[in-house]
Amino acid sequence: MSLVIVRLYHDLLGTYGDQGNAEILVHRAKARSLEVELVEVTPGMAVPRSGDVYLLGGGEDGPQSAALEMLKRDGGLNYAAAGGATVLAICAGFQIIGETLPDSSGQITSGLGLVDAHTVYDTSPRSVGELVIQPSRGGLPILTGFENHQGLTQLGSEMPSLGIVRSGVGNGFDKKEGVWHGNVLGSYMHGPVLARNPELADAVLQCAAGPLQAFDDELAQAFAQERRTTLSRS
Amino acid sequence: MTDSLRLAAACLAGKFAGHLSVVLGRGRGETLSGRVILAIDPKAISKLSSGRDIVLVSGTNGKTTSTTNLATILRNFAGEGVSTSESGANMPAGIAALLAQKPRHRFAVIECDEMYLPEMYRKLLPKVVVLLNLSRDQLHRTGEVRKVANLWHDTFTQDDVTFVIDRDDPFLEHSVAKAGHVIRVSFSGRQHPDAATCPNCAAILDWSTGDYLCPCGLGAKFPDVRSDKRLDGPQRNTVLVIEAARLMGAEIMADEAQDLITKSPDRVSDFLISGKQVSTHLAKNPESWRQALGDVTSDQVILSVNARGIDGRDTSWLWDIDYSKLLGKKVVCTGERRLDIAYRLSVQGIDVRVSESFPDAVESCSDHSIQAIASYTAYQDLLTAELGINKGKSGAK
Repeated sequence: MSLVIVRLYHDLLGTYGDQGNAEILVHRAKARSLEVELVEVTPGMAVPRSGDVYLLGGGEDGPQSAALEMLKRDGGLNYAAAGGATVLAICAGFQIIGETLPDSSGQITSGLGLVDAHTVYDTSPRSVGELVIQPSRGGLPILTGFENHQGLTQLGSEMPSLGIVRSGVGNGFDKKEGVWHGNVLGSYMHGPVLARNPELADAVLQCAAGPLQAFDDELAQAFAQERRTTLSRS
Repeated sequence: MTDSLRLAAACLAGKFAGHLSVVLGRGRGETLSGRVILAIDPKAISKLSSGRDIVLVSGTNGKTTSTTNLATILRNFAGEGVSTSESGANMPAGIAALLAQKPRHRFAVIECDEMYLPEMYRKLLPKVVVLLNLSRDQLHRTGEVRKVANLWHDTFTQDDVTFVIDRDDPFLEHSVAKAGHVIRVSFSGRQHPDAATCPNCAAILDWSTGDYLCPCGLGAKFPDVRSDKRLDGPQRNTVLVIEAARLMGAEIMADEAQDLITKSPDRVSDFLISGKQVSTHLAKNPESWRQALGDVTSDQVILSVNARGIDGRDTSWLWDIDYSKLLGKKVVCTGERRLDIAYRLSVQGIDVRVSESFPDAVESCSDHSIQAIASYTAYQDLLTAELGINKGKSGAK
């Protein structure tokens, strides 16, 4: 049976290159000879309920609100997540999967509620720059990405973060960055995050496909290492 | 000190600082010169622009080329001397230095950075503003494309300025929604990669016809000029430039306009490195990369990527470009962020190698005619480097 990766509304949530995460998962699955299918969901299409991995990216405020409304009406993502599907949501997407967030006019609105996270609009300067975190789960190296967001996100006390911020802002509360709750991951890291962190890419893939074989991944490793090394110097 | 004395002192000090900067080899001196002028007389920009006929040129891609092109056209077709900067200095200091330069021609064509356009618009009181296009660029600085469009939308409210825009770009249509006089040029529509939703009301835009018309009214205004759908980015910019020149009094016949459009300048420079000719495109954001990739015909291609401030510090956008044009070619990646681009290409199945420097990359190519795409600072480095390169020349493709 083929692994189904669902890229949600990348026309709306593709401002910061996060759609690359889907290509990376497909590439890394194929490198392990897994059968894989990429499903592109555009506005007006129903969200498939039986996908294995769902991807949301970062976008601007207006498109974020539009995407949230469609996902609420459709219900497919919530259905799939409740059934154990893997979700990776970046930036605006991360905000969307939380409990509450500001809409494009600044009013607090309800999110999809896949994780206990509350986003507030921050009046201080936008959080922009390289982000380096110590991952909360074992088996992963230091993770890096590029953040560019206005909102800040507070996790509920029971919610594990993706990692602890070494440099940068991240969620903006308690030095935490992102969320990793069951099979649902959220993060403020662009890059795309799975390009800059191949081990995280495999961790996401494993949530859906189980244990993976190793493969020759020299270029991805060199890229990830270059970012870690350069950022540890600055 | 009287106002005019202060200005004269500022300009003199600025000129001196600029010369010093050039003598010390710190660049062309415009920025330093302008900073000195503005430090001594903060009102210098308004004073120096008073009584002059000014055209402002802004947008994401093609600002420098279009500014130079417009100045040339005005000299040739309006028979006027024109003050302009050909170096791409487009922030307040550079603009102050340009305005202070003598002779101070009545006509001035000025390139302006998108984020500084509101301030310069208020201070310079331009006659004409040319808005070329708006798409993703340097997001670490601008945040969002929509933010730039909203900033412009809130600025352009007066009646006494004429805007020339590509109305096929919904961000530009939104930017001038409250402006009095607008010359709308249409190229029969084309889908904007960053405008899935309306910049005005955030509704999802229907692009099924290749054009947009939002229920909120955005896109409903008729174009004043209908041009050719087949034109590429630099050619579309030339069409806008010609309309601006006409507003400034240039008499350009239809066949002359056609000739100018055909010969549209682009940011391509030829370098001779190790006996090989390297035709290098400047490309600095997804839209200009798409344009540059469209022009690739050689079998061996060098891509040079940096991520210094002006290049955009976040390289994620490299993933928004389709590189299938490079499939089957031999690609060498260089620049400070060569691994970012190399990994991205490898995921798309492209044969890719990395080189530590641009000359090394050229050395590793066997062909004698190579094409290259370089990000902003990588391109500037090539222009200024002493690599045994002949001086690059911007010109027609």
